[in-house]
Amino acid sequence: MKSKLLSFPKLVAFLFLLLMAVIWIIPLIWGAVTSFKTDMEFQTMGFKLLPVQWVTTNYTSLLVDNYSTPLLHWFFNSLFISVAHTLLVLIVVSFAGFAYGRMRFKGRNAIFLFLMATMMFPGVVNLIPLYKIVDSLGWVNTYWAAVVPGAAGVFNIFLVRQFMVNIPLEVDEAARIDGAGDFQIFFRIVLPLSRPILMVVALFSFTGSWNDFLWPSIVFNDIERMTITSGLQLLQGMYTGEPTLQMAGAIVAIIPTFILYLFAQKYFLQSMSLSAGIKG
Amino acid sequence: MEVPVKSMEPKMKIERSKRKSVNWTPWFFITPHLVIFGLFFLVPILFGIYISFTSWDLVGKANFVGLANYKEILFQKDSSFYTQFHNGLKNTFIFVILSVPCCIVVPLLLASALNAKPRFHKLFQSIFYMPSLFSISAVVIIWTLMFNVNQGPVNNLLGKSILWTSTQPYAWAAIVIVTVWWCIGGNMIIYQAALNGISKDYYEAAEIDGASSIQKFFKITLPSIRGQILYTVVITTIAQFNIYGQPLMLTGGGPIDSTRVLLMDIQQNAFGSGQSIAGIASAMAFILGLCIMIVSLIQFLFLRNRD
Repeated sequence: MKSKLLSFPKLVAFLFLLLMAVIWIIPLIWGAVTSFKTDMEFQTMGFKLLPVQWVTTNYTSLLVDNYSTPLLHWFFNSLFISVAHTLLVLIVVSFAGFAYGRMRFKGRNAIFLFLMATMMFPGVVNLIPLYKIVDSLGWVNTYWAAVVPGAAGVFNIFLVRQFMVNIPLEVDEAARIDGAGDFQIFFRIVLPLSRPILMVVALFSFTGSWNDFLWPSIVFNDIERMTITSGLQLLQGMYTGEPTLQMAGAIVAIIPTFILYLFAQKYFLQSMSLSAGIKG
Repeated sequence: MEVPVKSMEPKMKIERSKRKSVNWTPWFFITPHLVIFGLFFLVPILFGIYISFTSWDLVGKANFVGLANYKEILFQKDSSFYTQFHNGLKNTFIFVILSVPCCIVVPLLLASALNAKPRFHKLFQSIFYMPSLFSISAVVIIWTLMFNVNQGPVNNLLGKSILWTSTQPYAWAAIVIVTVWWCIGGNMIIYQAALNGISKDYYEAAEIDGASSIQKFFKITLPSIRGQILYTVVITTIAQFNIYGQPLMLTGGGPIDSTRVLLMDIQQNAFGSGQSIAGIASAMAFILGLCIMIVSLIQFLFLRNRD
């Protein structure tokens, strides 16, 4: 056993991974560090890893009383939208997953297969008409535009349904004998047992919503209403001559998903194998 | 992607048949999704196809023009939309061809190395996965500075002064590097799970027969995870066809429109400043969508039947 720990393939693997990990981490560390440099220093002092003088002015000037690029505003817009979107998805998806996975009704299989088939359609086709629909509902420049349409997705329903199908049906039957109805079975039994998969759906809905770029940049043209992800494009254009300021904006935009990853890493890393296992 | 729908019939039949009236409870459960799905997915798709046959400007009435939009972007050489469309579609394909192999091979190598479970493999895995949780706009801002001519670490490390974002072929290289850095996490995790599932017996048997590591990789590892490779190739290709943020914010489509991709034109024509040309943009979107479907279908058939 002992010699295995130091085996040659392991050493090669380790060195390869170490090299790649350094490449992968440099942009993040250097980016974070650069956001604490003054623009003067960045532009004129040549290449240096660490700031000569650590300053927080990039952050303060972006976050405080900034009307042309209200980063703080964008941040909270994003936060509200992502949380609301996640809650909506959780409700819609757990309901539908339960019905397709554990209830019997006429047309169930036909509807479900139809939904699955529509996943093949590339979303790019509905970009323009979706805007028109959202516009006719009066939703342009409102949170609704970024919260609701994304909940139309089918993949999450597929995931949740597969998970719920695998919960033994005897559990339902026992509850039914005790006089429980569909709703009680759903809320009291199936929902609590489905927590792992719902956690996965929640995490990916949140990060997906937080990082969505093209759609928010179309439906929000009012600067006050923008999300941070689409706002960064504006910020990049506004401060072309001040790269360290841009960097501070990027770091702020990264922080929430970074923190989420720190705490829920396990779920993120399991989730992909979970969905791939079903697919493969 | 077969769905075993038939195999899980619940055994509640007997109880249900006692009730005479239709049970509406299942419909209560699926209706919220069906309404959102219908309004924000089904209707837009059909509507979008219709728009591509009109000269719509996003606000006024849509006048039916038949195939005129398609004729213009596909065949009418003197039209600026023809040039725009052909250039955009060509560049989109270039990007797909450059990036998809990288987004398969790099995570496969990482997963193989991680699977040897060397020291700190958990930490390495976390690092490689992390960027995929960041938004493309933040990622591009960071990398724009990484590629900065004088101040950026890339040039300083290489000891060169390459104009990464404004000369070719570096502009494509930069876009692909950013893309690989950003999005390999998901594929890597899929491969890791797949590699873990291969029985150790195969390798031991191969070792007894004196197979080299390379032979083992191509004869055992690759065939065993073919299903997952097929799946990742298809989803990665679909994802990369929708490229937008990287060229928009990194190169601005330059130099001389050589990295200007079709989605940038679609966005610009439909929602850009000036009058909207949603009809033409819809026709472009429809053809892009068609390309995505055809390419993924070909990949699926090709990779499935190669035994």
